[in-house]
Amino acid sequence: MIERTPVLNFVTHAVLFIGLAIAFVPMWLVFVAATLSLQEINTPPISLIPGSHLWDNIAEAWTRADLGVKLTNSLIMSLAVAAGKIAIASITAFAIVFFRFPGRMVAFWLIFITLMLPLEVRIVPTYAVAANVFSPYQAILDATGLSWLWQQLTGTELALEWNLLNSYTGLVLPLVATATGTFLYRQFFLTVPEELLEAAKMDGAGPMRFFREILIPLSITNMAALFTIMFIYAWNQYLWPLLIVTDRANHGTAVMALRQLIPMTGDSTGGGVPDWNVAMAGCLIVVAPALLIVALMQRFFVRGLIASDK
Amino acid sequence: MNRILLTGATALALFFSGAAQAQQRIKVELWQGLTGDLGSAVEEVCQRFNESQKEFEISCPTQGSYDAAVQNAIAAFRAKKQPTIVQVFDAGTLDLMLSDAFVPARRLMEENGYKIDWANYFPGIANYYASGKGELFSFPFNSSTALFYWNKDAFAKIGKSEAPKTWQEVEASARALKSAGYGCPMAINHDTWTLLEQFSAIHGQPIATKDNGYGGLDAELVINKTKFVDYIKFIKKGLDEGLFKIKLPETGANIVQAFASGDCQMMMSSVADHGTVGKTAKPEMQWSVAMLPVLEGTKRLNSLVGGASLWVLSGKSKDEYRAAAAFLNFIAKPESELFWSTRTGYIPVTKTGFQHLKTQGFYDKPQYKGRELALESLTATEVTPLSRGIRLGGFIQIRKEMRDALADIFAGKVSVEEGINAGVERSNAILRRFEKTYAGKQLL
Amino acid sequence: MDRRAVFKTAWIGGLLLAPQLLLVFTFFYWPTGAALFWAFTLERPWGGGNEFAGLDNFRMVFSDAAYWGAVWRSMVFALGSTALAMGLALLFALFCDRQLRGYKAYQTMLIWPYAVAAPAAGVAFRFLFAPEAGVFAALNKIHPDFWNPSVNGVHAMILIIVAYSWKYLAYNFIFFLAALQSIPRTLIEASAMDGSGPLRRMWDIQFPLLAPTLFFLLVINLTDSFVDSFGIIDLTTGGGPSKATTLMVYKIYFDGFKGLDYSGAAAQSIVLMLLVMALTFVQFRYIERRVHYR
Repeated sequence: MIERTPVLNFVTHAVLFIGLAIAFVPMWLVFVAATLSLQEINTPPISLIPGSHLWDNIAEAWTRADLGVKLTNSLIMSLAVAAGKIAIASITAFAIVFFRFPGRMVAFWLIFITLMLPLEVRIVPTYAVAANVFSPYQAILDATGLSWLWQQLTGTELALEWNLLNSYTGLVLPLVATATGTFLYRQFFLTVPEELLEAAKMDGAGPMRFFREILIPLSITNMAALFTIMFIYAWNQYLWPLLIVTDRANHGTAVMALRQLIPMTGDSTGGGVPDWNVAMAGCLIVVAPALLIVALMQRFFVRGLIASDK
Repeated sequence: MNRILLTGATALALFFSGAAQAQQRIKVELWQGLTGDLGSAVEEVCQRFNESQKEFEISCPTQGSYDAAVQNAIAAFRAKKQPTIVQVFDAGTLDLMLSDAFVPARRLMEENGYKIDWANYFPGIANYYASGKGELFSFPFNSSTALFYWNKDAFAKIGKSEAPKTWQEVEASARALKSAGYGCPMAINHDTWTLLEQFSAIHGQPIATKDNGYGGLDAELVINKTKFVDYIKFIKKGLDEGLFKIKLPETGANIVQAFASGDCQMMMSSVADHGTVGKTAKPEMQWSVAMLPVLEGTKRLNSLVGGASLWVLSGKSKDEYRAAAAFLNFIAKPESELFWSTRTGYIPVTKTGFQHLKTQGFYDKPQYKGRELALESLTATEVTPLSRGIRLGGFIQIRKEMRDALADIFAGKVSVEEGINAGVERSNAILRRFEKTYAGKQLL
Repeated sequence: MDRRAVFKTAWIGGLLLAPQLLLVFTFFYWPTGAALFWAFTLERPWGGGNEFAGLDNFRMVFSDAAYWGAVWRSMVFALGSTALAMGLALLFALFCDRQLRGYKAYQTMLIWPYAVAAPAAGVAFRFLFAPEAGVFAALNKIHPDFWNPSVNGVHAMILIIVAYSWKYLAYNFIFFLAALQSIPRTLIEASAMDGSGPLRRMWDIQFPLLAPTLFFLLVINLTDSFVDSFGIIDLTTGGGPSKATTLMVYKIYFDGFKGLDYSGAAAQSIVLMLLVMALTFVQFRYIERRVHYR
């Protein structure tokens, strides 16, 4: 399109530049703060030009919060959550969209209601489940008298136990157990033309073959989008890891480690001195991998979103 | 050749027996709520215990904060994954005391064959963690009390060489400091531990009916009818006149930092911060500590202990209890207390520990000088019903309500009376709710 | 949403659904049930018995002025952050979609904040807005307490709204831009040939076509602001000063985990849950219809 709108073009650039500033300036200031010495950072006005202490601060933040281990943990957790979500979401959505069987709508609603209640508001009981994943089933068996029956028949006590505290499984499973990805996949599968399925059926393809050979290749961008979203969702988790990990030295995650870098609010004991330069350096390290993922996957990410939105 | 073989074999045998022994060590966990330097100090204590014997091995992971240590321990207890020992701060005491979730200190030690002289614990410290009859439930560990910190250099500028003993003197000094050009004569925060709890104890003012709750769960807050109201009015006036300044961690400088950096010339804070101030203040800065000031014409009573104690949780094995008892016995030894007090600003909790520190010349060393005042403050008088401690349910929430009330008052949003009355009303609702939750339970 | 061409092998469908159903039951329904149970009892934190309380917990919650304060502040936060994050995102997306020179760079950078963890954003903004070290430190030197979120509740609220919106600005931008890009270019070109200028086209064509996205984002933003604010508040203001930034979810966390009042927190959770459910239901109905008419 060829149009001459110089004034509007100028306004456009100005507005976008402001947008850029809004997105970028805080990051820049955080970066600058991470390069200053403690004294420089506590002297107003706030500096706009980087100093020379970046590596010192990074090293200090790295050792203080033991970020090597934490980043590895975060990475493992995020990859597992992303992969788990993709696997679960795709097969669930597949069953919901392409099958017709009794109870389907009930199952569908059971899954979708989970979108409504975030982990934050049911975290204590969820913790109890994570401590023994089988506890709900044990309770059901106990209540129905099946445990008793088992004891009578075999002479052994029925005690199911699977403890997830301080484990990657514990970090991952409850985060996988929601419907976000399922929703995305369902939206996408609904857009798959019916002719495709009819053609496949005519070729004699069974459901699994249809899934493997047609749906999966079709949903690559969708997968990439979901992967990005879920990776970042998991990477940025805060409250759940805080609770389920008691062995912070070995199983702590990177975002949790932020707490170790700044004095907590409302804490009257322990005279923590906020050295913002180190805290900001830590912030940079913790945020970098997620930023990198979004920067690298951006094309897939946006395209995937568009695809699933149609 | 033979010889080499032999040594090789011996080494191998030794190696295996060593490995076997290492495997046999009974492992227990202590969940602590301290972090940073103080957290490392606790870990060093655990390390020392592990090195002192071969039978047990304790690990002491931090949970991030006092609150988190309690939260996580509760969640873990409900899931039957609790640690053997947990560090619980003063305000979390009553919830645990009313539960069946712990093994009382005395029973634990008796069952494991340790003879502890319970009278050896300072009564001012032990009473906080004991039943109404004085039987210890948990082990006092990191104990502190509040002290008054003052900058000697600044006071020299106004011609004073002594710490103020009364609040009237504090006010006069603050005025003089302000005229001398000091922007922040005294740093104040919203901490109820110093402003409300310590103040009430040393002034003999009740915080709640029923001897601050020791007499029953139906206690009610009464701080809107005591000298506390006048005291807060006094503080508020000082704030309005610029004699006191609010310093909070939320925005960069808490009172300890503001004092250590020389920005503020006086503050009230825990003796545990003595080490922090020493480490972070400029070496040439002259400062000292004193007992908290009192209002003119008041007879000083003992101050309250703060910090946390170690609770042994129920539902663990005999071996784990043996390990716990050994550890708790270890930390009560005078040498351990010396290490602990040297490494941190916390005070010894037993009389023998205090004696040991004294004979070792601990309090004569310049960097520790003044810390004995904490014990003097805690033992200033015989413990009275009002300075014994505070036994109120939901005390974590009550502290929060009162802190919010103070914040509102100091920010000028409400008058002193309005603020305190509102805080009291809300706190009493919390107390009633707590009473209902524990209906049928009796205080021990 | 019904398709004509489907598989009818029920057992395979059931099998495929099983993993998610198991996960959802174990980690969602069971814990939610427990929370529901607590809401009607007085639960002792360390266990050892609970008292049936009927509706007492709800009565207590609803008669508590502090609770309504939290509700009110949640509304302020929800509306403030949604307006800020959506308004700016829409503006930037519309202009970015004009695809002038360099728009790709803008587009890239505007998406980045989406990757930043809420707690990290909280920590960063806490520093940037710290009265003694941050952006406003110089102004505070001239005029003390010109800006001080640790004392001034309004400042604290602005702080968390800004920190939160900063992240959600990027989120909304992604969706707006995606929606704009899905509008057929031919439509816009046709309109241009009819002689309407860029602003006219924005208003007449793009804006109306954005309505579904707008609505979708509105609901998402409102919902998330109720539940996703925890990390930012915890690391920024801690709910203070006084209770100025204690939103509903933070109050639940505080009462339940710090205050050890599980039952009160559970009752509040149920209320929040109903609220979020209502919003999600609206959204779901709407999206369902949208899929239909597209």
